[in-house]
Amino acid sequence: MVSILKRSLAIISILIIGYWLAQGLAGVPFGQDKMLVGHYYLQHVKEQTGAVNAVTAIVVNYRGFDTLGEVTVLFIASTGVGALLWRKKRERTAKTEGSVVLTTGVELLFPFIVMFGAYIFIHGHLTPGGGFPGGATIATAFLLLYMAFTIYEVPHKAFEKTEGIAGMSYVLVGLIGLAIGGYFLFDWIWQTWQWGTNNLGRLFSGGFIPVIYTIIGIKVGTELSGIVDNMLKEEVRE
Amino acid sequence: MNALAALGEALVLIGTFFYFLSTLGLIRMPDVYNRMQTSTKSATLGSLGVIIGVGVWAVGNGLSWAWLVKATVIAVFLLLTNPISAHALIRAAYMSGIPLWHGSVVDKYREHLEAKEKAETDAPLEGGEE
Repeated sequence: MVSILKRSLAIISILIIGYWLAQGLAGVPFGQDKMLVGHYYLQHVKEQTGAVNAVTAIVVNYRGFDTLGEVTVLFIASTGVGALLWRKKRERTAKTEGSVVLTTGVELLFPFIVMFGAYIFIHGHLTPGGGFPGGATIATAFLLLYMAFTIYEVPHKAFEKTEGIAGMSYVLVGLIGLAIGGYFLFDWIWQTWQWGTNNLGRLFSGGFIPVIYTIIGIKVGTELSGIVDNMLKEEVRE
Repeated sequence: MNALAALGEALVLIGTFFYFLSTLGLIRMPDVYNRMQTSTKSATLGSLGVIIGVGVWAVGNGLSWAWLVKATVIAVFLLLTNPISAHALIRAAYMSGIPLWHGSVVDKYREHLEAKEKAETDAPLEGGEE
C-alpha cells in the first residue's frame, strides 16, 4: 500500500513539474530565428578560425576554456575511478574466453576502429565529430579487446604517461597563445602565423583546432580505456 | 532521373522491404534463436540495400562520388560486424540457458558440451589411479 502511495505521489509531482516546464517553454516561439551571438559566429568563423565546422570552432576556439574544463572533468573522473577502486593486487576476473569468431573478428576490426577514431579527431575542423567522439571510438576498440580476451590488459605505463603528456600539451598550446597573443588559448597558428589561410576547407587549415583535437582525442581515448581497465578488475586474495 | 538514380531508388526499396520482413520475423518467430536468425539476416541485407542504394542514388542525382565511397565503407563495416554481434548474442543466450523452442528436434551442441564435461570429469579419476 505504501509503495502505491509513494509511486502515485511521485507520478503526480513529476506531472506537475513537467506541466510547469511545458508552460515555460510554451512562450518560446518555435522555428524562428532566435540567434543573438550565433550570427556573429556563423559570419566570422571562417576568417577568424579557419574551420569549416562551426561547432568545433566555437568549442575549441571561441570558448576553448569550457573544453579545457571538460577535459579536466574527464581526467578527474578517471582519477576518481582509479582512486575508488584502488587495491594492491587486482586481476581480471573474466572466466570464459570469447568464441573463435569473436576473437578473430575483434583482432581484425581493432586497427580499423582505431584508424576511424583517429580520422574523426584529425578531421575535427572539417567534418562532424572532434576529439571527444574520436577518443571514445578509440576507447571502444580497447573495450572490444577487453571483452573478447580474458588476459588482455592495456599497456599501463605508456597509456598513463601519454594521458598526462596530452593534458599538459593542451595547456602548453594555450600558454604559447598567452605568450604570443596576450590571452590564454589564443589561436597563434591562425592569427599570428596565418598558416593555412589560403587552404580553407582542406586538411591543413583550421589554425590550432586539429592540433588541440588530436591532443584531446589521444587523451580521451587513453583515459576511457583506463576507466574500463579499472572497472573490469577485481581484487584477488591469496 | 537517370539510370543510376533509378537503380538507387530500387535498392532502397528492396532494403526497406527486407527491414519490414526482419521486424515481422521478430514478432512471428517462436524463440530467441529463430528471432535472431530472421532479424539479423534480413536486417543486414536490408541495411546493405539501403546504404548502397543511398550512395548510388546520390551519385545519380549529381552529388559527388564521395557519397558512394562512404556508403560502401559503412556497408562493408556492417557486413563484417553484424554477423559477429549476432553470433556473440546467440552464444551468450545459449550459455545463459535460454531454452530452444519446444518443437526443436536436435541439440547437437548440448550433446557436445555434455560429452566434453563427462570427459573432463573422467580424466582426473584415471589420473588418480595411476
